[in-house]
Amino acid sequence: MDDRGRLPSIGPLIWYRDPQAAIAWLQAAFGFELRLVVEGDDGGVIHSELTFGDGYIMVVGPPREKAVSPAAWGGRSTQSVHVQLKAGLDEHCERARAAGAHVVREPATQPYGDRVYTCTDLEDHPWSFGQTVKVMSDGEVEQATGHRVTTKETTHG
Amino acid sequence: MADWRGALMSAACYQDPKAAIRFLEAAFGFELFMLIEDGEGGLVHSEMRFGDAVVMIGNEWSDDHKSPKSIGGKNTQTVHIQITTDLDAHCERARAAGGEILMEPETQFYGDRTYRCRDPEGHIWTVGQTVAEVSREEAEAATGLKITGWV
Repeated sequence: MDDRGRLPSIGPLIWYRDPQAAIAWLQAAFGFELRLVVEGDDGGVIHSELTFGDGYIMVVGPPREKAVSPAAWGGRSTQSVHVQLKAGLDEHCERARAAGAHVVREPATQPYGDRVYTCTDLEDHPWSFGQTVKVMSDGEVEQATGHRVTTKETTHG
Repeated sequence: MADWRGALMSAACYQDPKAAIRFLEAAFGFELFMLIEDGEGGLVHSEMRFGDAVVMIGNEWSDDHKSPKSIGGKNTQTVHIQITTDLDAHCERARAAGGEILMEPETQFYGDRTYRCRDPEGHIWTVGQTVAEVSREEAEAATGLKITGWV
């Protein structure tokens, strides 16, 4: 499928009651870029791809079968998306808030060295955004959090 | 955060995240590379790698973050896995590990062969492999759909 090979091997697919509104909102609030939309006859979105840096999401809807938007399900979600920024986390939060995101946790530097904020979008899907502000070793993270950290070297490592 | 990771990753909620990690290793070949546990051995955070991508496997850490198993099997998001070879063998491996195959491998109009699988707590995973190059015109003609951005 066209230049699919440039996308990473895993991507989140997110269900919305109004996928067209979501596509517009995600561009305005978070800075996603739309690269592909496949529309059905009924105004629904069968498939779409929005990119952010080297990552992508698929926005589809309205929900069918076992799928549901959190907006129709008491605000509950079974998955969320984490986006890692290289810079500008606080400004990103303000942009999202201005677009109508509900900021759940304000930007704060975490004991593991990332600055993070979380928010919900126009249909209550949860998002988290992070930016590394201090590179820490596993030992330093263990000391700061009291948790046990096990990491395995990977070929990317 | 390790800098080889991409900008974006899914985080999925499970009642029993450690069992989920074992399933995802067996079914899809995901590799656990980070596990953070509290003093009682409870999972706080974990990350699994597949190719160039990462998924986070967590627990039900708030009233609004639930396993599909806790909310009638519903899914608000799913994860798509794109592979480059042997989709049918991938499906058989997932089935053998206990995945419920909701849609058997089938070649779609857009040139990808795909299958759909439900894991033991009800998360739905889709897996695809490109097997044919299809143009936008061909895809529109085959389906009657309107496609924007397929170059």
